[in-house]
Amino acid sequence: MPQQRTPGTRRVWVPAAFLAIFAVVLIGRLVQLQVLDHARYASAAAQELAGKDIIYARRGSILDRNGNVLAASVDTWDIYVNSRSWQDATSSKKSTDTLAAALKLDPARLRETVTKSKAIDVLIRRDVDYETGNAIIAAGLAGVIALPNTNRVNPEGDLAASLLGFIGQDNTGLTGIELSYNDVLQGKVGRAIYERDTTGDPIPFGAYTVEAPKAGEDVVLTIDRYIQELAERRLADAIKEHRAQGGSIMVMDPATGEILALATQPGLKYSTLGSLDLSDPKQMQILNNVAISSVYEPGSVMKILTAAAAIDSGAVTPDTTYVDKGIAYVYGIPIKNWDDSVYGLQSMTGVLQNSINTGAIFMMQQLEAIRPGGFQKYLDAFGIGRTTGIDFQGEAEGIVRRPTDSGWSPVDLATQAFGQSISVTPVQMLSGVAAAINGGNLFKPHFVKAHVTPKGNRTDVKPENMGRVISEQTSATIRQMLHAVVESPGRFHPGNPKEYSAGGKSGTANVPVPNGYDQTQIASFIGFAPLDKPKILVLVKLDNNDDLKTGTVAAGPVFAKLADDILRYMDVRPDAARYVNKP
Amino acid sequence: MPFGKPNWWVLSAVAIAGMGAMLPVLQNSTATSRGFDIQRDTARQAKLNGQISLVESDVARLTSLNRIERRAREIGLGPTENPIYITIDEAGPAPAKVPSDYLPPVVSQPSPPDSWLRSLISLLSLTD
Repeated sequence: MPQQRTPGTRRVWVPAAFLAIFAVVLIGRLVQLQVLDHARYASAAAQELAGKDIIYARRGSILDRNGNVLAASVDTWDIYVNSRSWQDATSSKKSTDTLAAALKLDPARLRETVTKSKAIDVLIRRDVDYETGNAIIAAGLAGVIALPNTNRVNPEGDLAASLLGFIGQDNTGLTGIELSYNDVLQGKVGRAIYERDTTGDPIPFGAYTVEAPKAGEDVVLTIDRYIQELAERRLADAIKEHRAQGGSIMVMDPATGEILALATQPGLKYSTLGSLDLSDPKQMQILNNVAISSVYEPGSVMKILTAAAAIDSGAVTPDTTYVDKGIAYVYGIPIKNWDDSVYGLQSMTGVLQNSINTGAIFMMQQLEAIRPGGFQKYLDAFGIGRTTGIDFQGEAEGIVRRPTDSGWSPVDLATQAFGQSISVTPVQMLSGVAAAINGGNLFKPHFVKAHVTPKGNRTDVKPENMGRVISEQTSATIRQMLHAVVESPGRFHPGNPKEYSAGGKSGTANVPVPNGYDQTQIASFIGFAPLDKPKILVLVKLDNNDDLKTGTVAAGPVFAKLADDILRYMDVRPDAARYVNKP
Repeated sequence: MPFGKPNWWVLSAVAIAGMGAMLPVLQNSTATSRGFDIQRDTARQAKLNGQISLVESDVARLTSLNRIERRAREIGLGPTENPIYITIDEAGPAPAKVPSDYLPPVVSQPSPPDSWLRSLISLLSLTD
């Protein structure tokens, strides 16, 4: 029997229409959530579900030239607590008490820190020592997360701290070698991504992706820790004895440009690093290495380069003579000797022995007479007035006034010849004098001897010869002239080592201030030993020594003692006159 | 009810299908087990690396200049003062020999073949 359909009434159609509209809205909303906004919600869900941790790479060690450790990283743990899992005080009591006991914290304060924090994972302590961290992990405390980290240790204490520098909390070098070689030392951080439950703990057998960290390389320095220790000790003694405000001692192998020691004061100390106020500009200066980033007027030490230039150009020989009248007039400006003395007839060797300013001017003038502009060209060749390229951040260029500069006066050339109105960094001066005595080649000074990968592959850093400055013959002549400075018949020189033949030159320069010089001074001495094949070149510089003793008297003995101690340590046979068997 | 002859084709197909179904389970189980082993070994390696770094740090601390100097003073040693150098007209001691363990293995060179004349003489020789 055919069924007859009854026509729909309003009682049927109205609810049906509402249901249809509701269905359309529901479907639309589902399409929005699952299709249109899928990426956004999927990302939010993944962020909620996935835990991401940075795994710091093991930072490479810094070693001295003999493989002794100067800075190394040890594994530590950063301890976090997931705040969600500690909401209930009763259930988290055991975790709170155990963690507080392990970290020597007050349980109530620890709990307060966690529960009041807005972060999900609350950092409790960084760099917890390795064994303590392992014990915490082994205890299996709910909500406690231990992430591997590394901490920097310096087994030699404050030794070479200004040179080595320090790192920040993110294991990035902030100063010194740690900064200059950060790319080599740091390696590459890794990441761990894992699924976590509502308490933040990793889900067992959940998705776990690890991008392994790549350990940094070790850096082998040219520094010798024993020589460094000697230099630091002698510098501290000299500063105390002469009541100086600071100073530097640099020891270099002149044949390669390798820096064997660099001591500076004031300087960084790890033992007081925590109390350093970095908002104080004076304290911030401690972070700079003054031997590389600060300039000074070298005074008479510059006469070494003036003599080398004049002899190499053929303008003078060591035996060339002139008559010193105690004063020289340059374009009508009188320039006197440092001690107002009149030395009369002098050879060029005598100019260096007596440190005669007028003699340095004479040498410069003889050079300019045969080669105009030649003096400053030699200064350029010796690397004065430009960075040496040393592998250390923040190197200063120095200041050499040139004829093209505003305020230039021809008198500047004369004063530059004896180290005034010219500013250099200690490392520039050392590098320039090294070229004068090592056979005539300018080597780039450097601190790093080699890199060693975690697998033990060593890459040596070759000394970089920047070019020949003077001839080998001139260099040998300069060595003999500087030897005559410290050792000549009937004269005692405080800068003459007891056991080794040596050469050297002192400098005492007033500190320039606007419109002149003040009464403070910088006393310095630069010397080398042994005479024929120098193994070491040492610059001793004392800043603002209150006793106003000259470079010869204040810095000379420091060089002499250091040369004896260092060469004996280096197993170099004594060759001073009284130690050599005569046939 | 008499059983008919088993249809080996059907049984084989069922067995293969069963094994095919078991294979992913076994693979999954093995992979999970290996993954767990790897995680455990990685953790162990990390722990050993940590211990190595601690030991290295201890060695560095114990061989630091300060400690050597302190220990030297404890046993009555001090810095050299005014050394006296003497010259001896004798050759110095021979350098110490390196233990054979540290030398490269000796490769024996094959002796060159005897000339035909030498071989002939040795054959004719009456003495050994």
